[in-house]
Amino acid sequence: MFSLWIGAYDQGLAYAGLALGTYLTLRVLNFPDLTVDGSFALGGGTAAVLISQGAPVPVALGLAILFGCLAGTVTGLIHTRLGVNDLFAGILTTTGLYSITLRLMGRSNIPLSETPAGILALPDLGLGLDGQWAVGLTLATLGMILLISFLLATDFGLSLRALGNNPTMARANGINQRRGLTVGIAAANGLVALAGALVATYQGFADVTMGIGSLILGLGMVIIGESVLRPRSLPWALLAVGVGAILFRTMIAIALQLGLEPVDLKLATALLLLIALAFGRLRIPGLSADQGRQEQ
Amino acid sequence: MSTAPGLSVEELSWGHPLPGSGWRQLFSGFSLSCPPGQFLVVIGSNGSGKSTLLNLVAGTLRQGAGRIHLGGRPLHRLRDHQRARWIGRVMQNPLEGTCPGLTVAENLRLAERRNRPARLASGFLISAFGGIHPNAGDCRRYRELLAGLRLPLADRLDEQVGQLSGGQRQSLSLVMATLGSPDLLLLDEHTAALDPRAEAMVMALTDRLVRQLGTTALMVTHSIEQALSHGDRLVMLHEGGLIGDWNAAEREFLNPAAVRAMYSDAITSMGTISTDATSAS
Repeated sequence: MFSLWIGAYDQGLAYAGLALGTYLTLRVLNFPDLTVDGSFALGGGTAAVLISQGAPVPVALGLAILFGCLAGTVTGLIHTRLGVNDLFAGILTTTGLYSITLRLMGRSNIPLSETPAGILALPDLGLGLDGQWAVGLTLATLGMILLISFLLATDFGLSLRALGNNPTMARANGINQRRGLTVGIAAANGLVALAGALVATYQGFADVTMGIGSLILGLGMVIIGESVLRPRSLPWALLAVGVGAILFRTMIAIALQLGLEPVDLKLATALLLLIALAFGRLRIPGLSADQGRQEQ
Repeated sequence: MSTAPGLSVEELSWGHPLPGSGWRQLFSGFSLSCPPGQFLVVIGSNGSGKSTLLNLVAGTLRQGAGRIHLGGRPLHRLRDHQRARWIGRVMQNPLEGTCPGLTVAENLRLAERRNRPARLASGFLISAFGGIHPNAGDCRRYRELLAGLRLPLADRLDEQVGQLSGGQRQSLSLVMATLGSPDLLLLDEHTAALDPRAEAMVMALTDRLVRQLGTTALMVTHSIEQALSHGDRLVMLHEGGLIGDWNAAEREFLNPAAVRAMYSDAITSMGTISTDATSAS
């Protein structure tokens, strides 16, 4: 039973980048970004290809982040330069990314048989390999949260928050909306691709379809974290998102333990989120019916 | 190219499509100049082009043709966020001129950085390590600024702007617009959404800040009473044309009834008044 909890904890942390990326686009930039479905799989695929060919894991993770950033940049440019609607810009990119990821991987599934040496070098806390993963992923997640908190507290971060809060006012105060949105979306997708790479490395395989429903997953993690911790400051909000990722995976683990078929997981996730959107006080920019995004 | 200081609008043209079909040409060869330090008040009915003129100067609308210079700089070649280096702007809606989800201090910091916007590098490279803002020093400076203006916001720097009243938000927006001593202050019916008490407070603050900074100001208003009691010069617009221009001395002889009568005479003699001209202002 304990392995179930530690496994859920590890998986939650592996997915934390997805939750943080979703938070960055939806909550900070006010931009519903569907690119995450494509960039999650792109990150997983990139890492799997490189690691299976003998590349060091840090290099594989770094390239996954870079490719995720590029995917986000494409969406940002489609939206800000070509004037394409935010949701449609994300759909266009993610559709294209499916073929790109498949080309990159060469086949639809790549298995990874070995645990990364970096993880094996960590203390196991008496919990074996799962404990070593827990240490590594906890450090990685805390590092991500600290870095994002720091960046969002700088003048540049303040500019991004202003763009999400009131783009008209942000432009009237000299902020370049096109560049700010593009950089923000790129950074968010870099985080999502890192999550894809970590998930692929942790679970021992990458699949070209692993990104389907990622936005909904990320959204569910953000909502759970915010509901449980009710954060009042940005660093706490980011921490809450990380905790939300762990709780979300724990709920899935419990549901599976109670007999839910794995094939029904995405349906259950979608229904849960729909209930929250329909009956709760939840308002998601661009996704809730009574809110429209201010266009440039 | 004009190199005259102050604000200069030359041969400005701008129009917009009408619902369904057709085109409405609001400005055709419109010119207006405003010497440095002048507080210019613009009045006119709905659709006269008052707010459109402000939007064209600010760059939120792009002119079809013509030139706009500020202190000799060709603003018409710049995008709105680039013009913001020299222009402070207060919007009509108190919610539009601030970021309601950010704190008072964060809003002030954004405005303070207006004439030197954050570069990508300041977020990701070495300068970021000294770049956490607003910090204690910033807050001390903002507290002194707000206290000096006798605004009851000095102790509320950590509160989200969305929690402030409309008058407080508009006061904050005005302070933000004047931070960094911009060359031009644009006031777009900035008291229209306020109750009379808040309106009086915001207008008193407007007069004080404009005089204190000596900045050129362009204020659009619907209120003839307000137009007659503030600013150095009054101009009247109708259908994108200038139909009245009074300096401070001439304005002394005007009263609201006389201005309304003059406006009515002017548009009758022009024969151009239209009932559907409401979309531009």
